[in-house]
Amino acid sequence: MKNVIMGIAITAIATTGCNNNSKSTTQKTAGNDNTKTDNTAVKTQTPGEGTTNSVVSIKPLIDHYLEMKNALANDNGKEAAAHGTALNLAIEELGKSPLTADQKKIYDDAAIDAKEHSEHIASNGSKIAHQREHFDMLSTDIYDMVKAFGAGTVLYKDYCPMYNNKKGAIWLSGVNEIKNPYYGNKMLTCGIVKEEIK
Amino acid sequence: MLIAIQLIRPAPNQNGQVTPADVSYTLSITDSVQLVLINSCYDCHSNNTRYPWYINVQPMGWIMARHVKEGKENLNFNEFGTYSKRKQANKLRSIATSIKEGTMPINSYNLMHKDARLSEQNKNLIIDWALKTKDSLGNN
Repeated sequence: MKNVIMGIAITAIATTGCNNNSKSTTQKTAGNDNTKTDNTAVKTQTPGEGTTNSVVSIKPLIDHYLEMKNALANDNGKEAAAHGTALNLAIEELGKSPLTADQKKIYDDAAIDAKEHSEHIASNGSKIAHQREHFDMLSTDIYDMVKAFGAGTVLYKDYCPMYNNKKGAIWLSGVNEIKNPYYGNKMLTCGIVKEEIK
Repeated sequence: MLIAIQLIRPAPNQNGQVTPADVSYTLSITDSVQLVLINSCYDCHSNNTRYPWYINVQPMGWIMARHVKEGKENLNFNEFGTYSKRKQANKLRSIATSIKEGTMPINSYNLMHKDARLSEQNKNLIIDWALKTKDSLGNN
């Protein structure tokens, strides 16, 4: 019965936008299986030994970002903070890779900004609202990087129209299912898929 | 012990120059906004801190030095022009949010600097400026 209601709710909300009447429930959503769901099995290219043309992969960044997203959707600021630390490191590592001139430009712009937001998220495990504010800005950075570098996996750009005083906010997901990191349990299924990024 | 720690003094954050990368050269800004920023924000968020007499009294000096270091790392108005458009827009948003939520200026600063405390009017002034300016930077 619960699943039927969930199904109707998801369809209703997905098609009509977000409704603020939802009561907060204590029911844990299907989101708990999530940490592995977003990780893809797609192998990305890694530079072989002796190759002069190494392909730079941003997969580690995406993986940590998705885990962070899941943590926020689960209202778990502490876990989100841990992934902030990991993402910060991953971005640093990326900076040490052999980037082309174009890639370096994007790195200096989007990745450096993303690094700052990761740091804020990492050091605010008990202030999830503050983490979410930075996650909003981080998501745009990661989206831009995905468009530039390629993700090596299918991602979905999701959109929540209500967040940030109704200015709206995006996030990326590895699955075609809405689990809102900005509102978590309060409005978990609020949002729409805006773009499938191949 | 209290006497001993007086001997360890942090280096002062003082520059005396308004650099061309200052926010006032980078963005459209009114005099009133600039005054509020200088009066309530620049002590921690610029290269020029106005130090009170107790800078040389420890541990107050160390605490201030830490605030200034962290403040500048997060946002330095004197170097705003060196930020990418993306970063400028994001900083403006963060400025608006922290003023709105009262997390800035920090409590201890407000406590010690009565003149720096933001009136409702000045808060709104900064918030409006920050959000409008962010929007004018374009879509991000």
